[in-house]
Amino acid sequence: MKLLSSIKKELILAARSFYFYIEIGFALIMLAVLLFAVPEHSGARSEEYLYLDLPPAAAKVLIDETLDEDIDGRPQETELKAEGAVYKALLFQTDERDIFLMESEAAAETMTKHKKAIGAVITMDKGELHYKYFLQGYESKRLKNLLLVLHAQDFDTLETRMNEQKVINVDSGHIPLNDRENAIPPLMAFSGSLMSMFIMAAYVSLDRQEGVIKAFAVTASPVSKYLISKMFVLMLTSVISGLIVVAPLMGTKINYALLLLLLLTTGVFASMLGLLTASFFQNITKAFGIIFLPMVLFMLPAIAYYIPGWDPVWVKLIPSYPMLQGFKEIISNGDAMYVLLVSAGFLAAGFVLFLITNNRFRKTLTV
Amino acid sequence: MLNKIWTIFKRDVKVNFREVMPLYIMLAPLMLAIGINLITPGINDTTVNIALIEGENPAQEQCLNEFAHVETFPGEAEVLSRVKERDSLIGILPGDNGYYILAQGNEPESVVEYAKLLNVFFESGVDIENSKASIVEFGETVPPVKKMLVNILLLMIPMLSGMLITLNIVEEKADKTISAINLSPTSRTAFILGKSLTGMMISLVTTVVCILITGFYNVNILLLLLVAAASTVLAMTIGFIQGINNDDVMEAVGSMKLVFLPLAGSVAGYELLSGGWQAFFWWSPFYWSYRANNIILGKEGSAGELLLYTAIIAAICITAYALMLPRIKKGLQ
Repeated sequence: MKLLSSIKKELILAARSFYFYIEIGFALIMLAVLLFAVPEHSGARSEEYLYLDLPPAAAKVLIDETLDEDIDGRPQETELKAEGAVYKALLFQTDERDIFLMESEAAAETMTKHKKAIGAVITMDKGELHYKYFLQGYESKRLKNLLLVLHAQDFDTLETRMNEQKVINVDSGHIPLNDRENAIPPLMAFSGSLMSMFIMAAYVSLDRQEGVIKAFAVTASPVSKYLISKMFVLMLTSVISGLIVVAPLMGTKINYALLLLLLLTTGVFASMLGLLTASFFQNITKAFGIIFLPMVLFMLPAIAYYIPGWDPVWVKLIPSYPMLQGFKEIISNGDAMYVLLVSAGFLAAGFVLFLITNNRFRKTLTV
Repeated sequence: MLNKIWTIFKRDVKVNFREVMPLYIMLAPLMLAIGINLITPGINDTTVNIALIEGENPAQEQCLNEFAHVETFPGEAEVLSRVKERDSLIGILPGDNGYYILAQGNEPESVVEYAKLLNVFFESGVDIENSKASIVEFGETVPPVKKMLVNILLLMIPMLSGMLITLNIVEEKADKTISAINLSPTSRTAFILGKSLTGMMISLVTTVVCILITGFYNVNILLLLLVAAASTVLAMTIGFIQGINNDDVMEAVGSMKLVFLPLAGSVAGYELLSGGWQAFFWWSPFYWSYRANNIILGKEGSAGELLLYTAIIAAICITAYALMLPRIKKGLQ
């Protein structure tokens, strides 16, 4: 009863505060950004600068092969500027690449250097094609090895053998996310769940400043109920703002029960972490300093999220990693068991943090 | 008036150095800069992760290690279990007719194609020594991912100074100390400029130190400071406005999120979207700051391009400051 009363009181206070509406407003802005500014397929392209130092017949064969991949089947004449010079080029646009055919080796080299792109000069010696690549210098040894070994075998043979490779997919029903959908999990994890940590710290600092925590000490209600009521308001805000973003974008395609579960459990974990941190400081300015670094640390798994090959073990140990992966599984209708396990983990961790925080607040109500 | 601004600045510096928070605001980016130095070599070396059976074919392991990160496991079951984990790792396992590729199914297509290519190289016995290619390098040492992370860090530094101002003002409002300024001979403009000067100094000093820590010794520091100063003007303006508009810390913290939105959006827009979509971000000074920093850090682009971007940033920031100044002054009453 006391808990219900505390929650009701917190909800009334939240409804009167601008914070609640700022969160809703933020969610609406995010939704608008995702709908109108983030395309389903971003079309990020790479640039290549090429010079063919070949007899006309050989050059024509290569140009025709490139034209086969060109979107409209014909090159565009263009002019490129670099280091005070203007270079004429033919532009071939494929689905993922802009290939500039330059008029000289020097032009290809200058443009590659200027644009920090990749460039090559193709020559012919004794009837065989030779490739000279221009690289910036920071590329890894493994990438350089790959470029070299690509030209140790005939291309047609290579392509044929690649197409013959047998590939077994363990989970064949997987549908890849488009760029817009792919942006939802980081948003859910960072804006929804992890911000709860910051907001909770601010909440408690405010109450401490206004003497609310001291006043609580002389009421019949235990501190645990105060903490739970605060957490409840935050979780409610997190769920509402999360649904505002996800529902219009994903419609009925995802499992909302799992989404709610993960939003709530990660909210419990993050808000308890924020509460515990705030309990050590007099005001939010001081708590902010301590909260800021973990928040940056928690953002690191976003790099692993966008760079699939970079997944060191230490990144997987950061709590936001399973958070991100959990939201990704939900958005892509993937492994429900993983989401349940992650939720259970965050709930357990949140409960432990709650016990520690509750103990701390009981002992040091005015700290 | 200059004397009063200087006095407020000196007082602020003295007070701030007694407090942990301003020191922290300066130290946090430096720690992040060190963090960037630590993680970027690993990211730059990323190609594809391959799982093989331990000892099944040492020559294969040695060959593939030249092109990818190879992990070995005791048996097929362990490889399968590892492939099923969340990250993109491809198994290459022995089958009836040579090796086959084992994928989870949610890996990017390029990762699977890369693994297929490597398997062909090994099965064909291709030797790098027979390559008909050569490589010419330009001697650059800073990978793009490091440049991107340092650029984001440079955008965050002014924002941290702005956030500090927000929190300070909200707390001063709560303590009812801000109205005391009205009793002093200092004008509100002098008070605002004096306070801003401290944030500006923190922002600029931290920017330079971060640049040196991350190894960008040869960039044009003056140009970088010019961009940082313009961004800081905007961060200060936002800091004051948020401090004045919000009555409690809760609202201030909540609205800070709104400030990080254009920052994160501008970076994501520049890095992920193709040319046509970038017009959506032309209004954002963060977008132009990011572009300008990119030119400075990468020592690319023309001086004219850089001056144009800096002029756009300055124009947006000074306009915002001029428009908001009366409101800031009124809010301090």
